[in-house]
Amino acid sequence: MIALVDCNNFYASCERVFQPQLENKPIVVLSNNDGCIIARSNEAKSLGIKMGAPAFKMKSLFDLHKVHVFSSNFALYGDLSKRVMQILNEGSPAIEVYSIDEAFLDLKGVMKLNQFSVDLRTRVGKWTGIPVSIGVAPTKTLAKVANRIAKKYRKDGVFLMKKNTTINHVLKHTLVSDLWGIGRQYARFLADNGFETAFDLVNANESWIKRNMSVNGLRMVKELKGIPCYALEHQPPRKKNICTSRSFGMDVVNHAELKEAVASYASTCALKLRKEKSLAASVLVFIKTNPFKNSQYQYNPYQKVILDVPLNDSMEITKQALMALKKIYKKGFSYKKAGVIVGDIVPDSSRQLSLFSNKDPFKTRNVMCAVDYINEKMGRNKVRLAVQGFDRKWRLKQEKLSPCYTTRFKDVLQVKI
Amino acid sequence: MDEKVLDIPFYQSDVPAGFPSPAEDFMDLDLNLQEYLVQHPSATFCVRVTGDSMQNAGIFSGDVMVVDRALEPKNNTIVLAVLNGEFTVKRIQKKADKLYLKPENKDFKSIEITEEMNFQVWGIVTHIIHKV
Repeated sequence: MIALVDCNNFYASCERVFQPQLENKPIVVLSNNDGCIIARSNEAKSLGIKMGAPAFKMKSLFDLHKVHVFSSNFALYGDLSKRVMQILNEGSPAIEVYSIDEAFLDLKGVMKLNQFSVDLRTRVGKWTGIPVSIGVAPTKTLAKVANRIAKKYRKDGVFLMKKNTTINHVLKHTLVSDLWGIGRQYARFLADNGFETAFDLVNANESWIKRNMSVNGLRMVKELKGIPCYALEHQPPRKKNICTSRSFGMDVVNHAELKEAVASYASTCALKLRKEKSLAASVLVFIKTNPFKNSQYQYNPYQKVILDVPLNDSMEITKQALMALKKIYKKGFSYKKAGVIVGDIVPDSSRQLSLFSNKDPFKTRNVMCAVDYINEKMGRNKVRLAVQGFDRKWRLKQEKLSPCYTTRFKDVLQVKI
Repeated sequence: MDEKVLDIPFYQSDVPAGFPSPAEDFMDLDLNLQEYLVQHPSATFCVRVTGDSMQNAGIFSGDVMVVDRALEPKNNTIVLAVLNGEFTVKRIQKKADKLYLKPENKDFKSIEITEEMNFQVWGIVTHIIHKV
């Protein structure tokens, strides 16, 4: 049996752990740069606040209902996520961390599934303050369905689907569009072909499914029938490309400031590559003007560079990114966003040397190792390329950021006694 | 995710000939404060206090407390509690079926926890880090 553990309204719940006076109060968390809503507490959901809504349009609603608004604090969410996953890992035979707030557990050999799940949920809640829901079923796809029931209808936050009668009953009340892996496109296609509930899919003709929805569709149908097609992935698959992009706190006009931003994103990409022990063979830079300002002309160019050999050193990747930027930058526009994507990623172990370069790749590797070591000890970006700049005027807008309670001593929870 | 810090002393001194250090076989692992202070890493949080209601228990303004959420409160343990939405640190005491939050400073009064209060133990204070 497989369990899906999902943290309830994770980002909002994280904020509440350290501000218990917000219990039962509406909370929303905004995306990077305080742009739109990316998390809502249940109270905020019942006010009709929609996921993804732009924050500036909601201001009067926030004021009217005294909604507590937070900038996203990923240092805090990342740390609490790590704690939750650690507890799940210690408490179960095998785990796949699926996202920052979800994990699949393999419950092979667990005898009392319901009691086990209730205890695990209680432990996570007590130890971290984060409420979770647990759905248990024979396959990953069904565990997702069970989790939805647990979250919506179960007081104890746990729902176990084992018997066929239970599973079929639930699938009859689950819309196709609520299934794992069904996007808007497939949902519409299936609706057009008369599939309304998940149970309709269970009874579908398998060869029709395979023909119209590829082998992944077929796997999903088999999983709904209780035949496992997806095993737990213990090691996350290597990323195909890595993107670092941000909207600016204010519009950026001049080349120098744009350069600082692009250099910072490029070296962040390089750092992510090194952490994954990967190399990238291409670098793409894009810049965007503000789409909400119709009065201006829009300009959204990008430029891709293919590298001689795959790399992960910040200096070379930044240099290439800045050359790409130079090609696309035009005066007279005010830019709202920039980004760097490194692609064609290969494992570091397959490093090849360039036939035409006389640079020693191992020398730069040692430099990057030393830089990473210092930054890990002394704080992010303590040692950086000069071109990344010092004022960073373009930096994120995070006006409602909560303290990093769990990762910085100067930010730990303060209590007056 | 399950990486744990463990510092192991490492010898780089070259001793091509002669006697090895007589202490070499007796080396212990380095002292690890984290290990000493933290019993449940995923349930332990640091909290800084201001105020002196607990000074007779050795908790002074500016100290950092190590708080473990995995432990159960017992009679007379010092807890970080949430009382009507506000954090406080007090000794928890049970007397004749009544529950009290007891300060450790005679200028402050005990608080009786009643039914209508919203009360919750956030975590158990296990250590105080005090800078001298």
